[in-house]
Amino acid sequence: MYDIATDHAGGLTAAFLLLLFVFAFGRGLRLLAGRRVAWAVRVTQAYDAAPSITKLAATLMLLSGGIHLALVPGHEGITGVLFGIDGLGFVGLAIAAFVTTWWRRPAVLWLVATILAYLVWIIAGWETPDQVGIACKLIELVALGLLMRLANPTRRTWPRRVWRATAFPLMACVTTLGIWVGGLAHPDALHAHAGALLQPVADVATPEQQAAGAKLLADTRASIARYQDPAAAIAAGFKPGPVSSAEPLRHFENSANANAVLDPNRPQALVYARTPHGLQLIGAMYEMKRAGQWGPDPGGPLTQWHQHEGICFSPFGFEFSFETPFWTCPVGSTSITTPPMLHVWIIDNGKNGPFAADLDKTVQRQLTGRS
Amino acid sequence: MNRTESINDGASEIASVLVAVQASLSLVAGLSALPFAIVEPGFRVLGVMTILIAAAMFWLARNLRRGRRWAWQWLVSLELLCLAITALLSLLPIGAVRGPVPVLVNLVIPMAVVVVLAGAKSDARRAA
Repeated sequence: MYDIATDHAGGLTAAFLLLLFVFAFGRGLRLLAGRRVAWAVRVTQAYDAAPSITKLAATLMLLSGGIHLALVPGHEGITGVLFGIDGLGFVGLAIAAFVTTWWRRPAVLWLVATILAYLVWIIAGWETPDQVGIACKLIELVALGLLMRLANPTRRTWPRRVWRATAFPLMACVTTLGIWVGGLAHPDALHAHAGALLQPVADVATPEQQAAGAKLLADTRASIARYQDPAAAIAAGFKPGPVSSAEPLRHFENSANANAVLDPNRPQALVYARTPHGLQLIGAMYEMKRAGQWGPDPGGPLTQWHQHEGICFSPFGFEFSFETPFWTCPVGSTSITTPPMLHVWIIDNGKNGPFAADLDKTVQRQLTGRS
Repeated sequence: MNRTESINDGASEIASVLVAVQASLSLVAGLSALPFAIVEPGFRVLGVMTILIAAAMFWLARNLRRGRRWAWQWLVSLELLCLAITALLSLLPIGAVRGPVPVLVNLVIPMAVVVVLAGAKSDARRAA
């Protein structure tokens, strides 16, 4: 669900280079201080005198600053300007941590403002959440946690204690929720629904592609007609997936067909709807072997494959939720990415069409009695 | 630097913050599973378990700051378990660890906690 945006990839490179630079700069300083260069001795002494928690917080702010500055060229207008100001602010505060005593409060405010501004941008749809942005927020959250530990509570009243204990988890929850809301409210063009990444295809199908799509539908319909009765499918080697109260459809998979590629005679799975009168065959599902390996799309944009990402899957059954933007799942489940799949619906799938990633909600409600 | 910083300095402080970050992320994961539990009863158990584990991690972080040896032992064990599970999952072709965010959350932070805690123990031995 969260990829690395092309214009953000430079941020990762900048982070690596910055870490290398900081390491080399530190070694150079020590070398100059060893040769009694006055300013190098002063800087080294200030650094050595700082507590390790300050050193780490400053390094993380410097890292965030470097990433923001590296992203300026890829962002036009106000976003680019704010990235520049933000990056310079972080660099300034990282330096201030070793030469001033007042840096902590401005740094806390800067971090909180940066995280909240990111959430506003994401929720407003001015920026798409991606892994570079989310990693940057994680770095900033850790820096914020470190700075909060540096606070010197003057009055230890109960409300202040409660605030100190809950402020950080609350900030982490708000950040996660904000990124999540933004990502779900403004999915990019290649996300059909939460967690489904679509194969990149052309906008319009050619007449040849339309004919090829119609042939695939007809071939699939003719081939799987023999499995109207689920018992026939089981006899042919299809194994019923686990029953889930959350899933009104049921997939029967045949591992013997794993190596077939878009073969109407050997689909990887059959899809049945759980109707009040029993299972009804409504389509087939073709699946590739590996995640990221898109299958052939004879119908062009009509036969667009999709793969599911960011699903928290529990091996105890077909139980799943969506992973958080920080890639965490509930205990006992793990994030998975499925291989690309293509559904062929042999029933009228409404406005979604016969190759849509999802069954049309109205059709599903009519079939199963629930959405 | 001011006095506050020297009081709060130390490996256990850094490790406790990192554990608090992990606990916060677990808390969010547990809370986020609860809406799915309405239709998927299995996630009710997993969600509540995750929230309880997050609460236990906050408690361990608190006791680590207070210098409790058992908290140190529990956290090192937990982080090593987390690293082992991550290593196992990354070997499976399920795309569980893909990109900088899962690497930071599942690999870098647990490893940093183990390194910091191990460093703190060796420092304490040297001081003794």
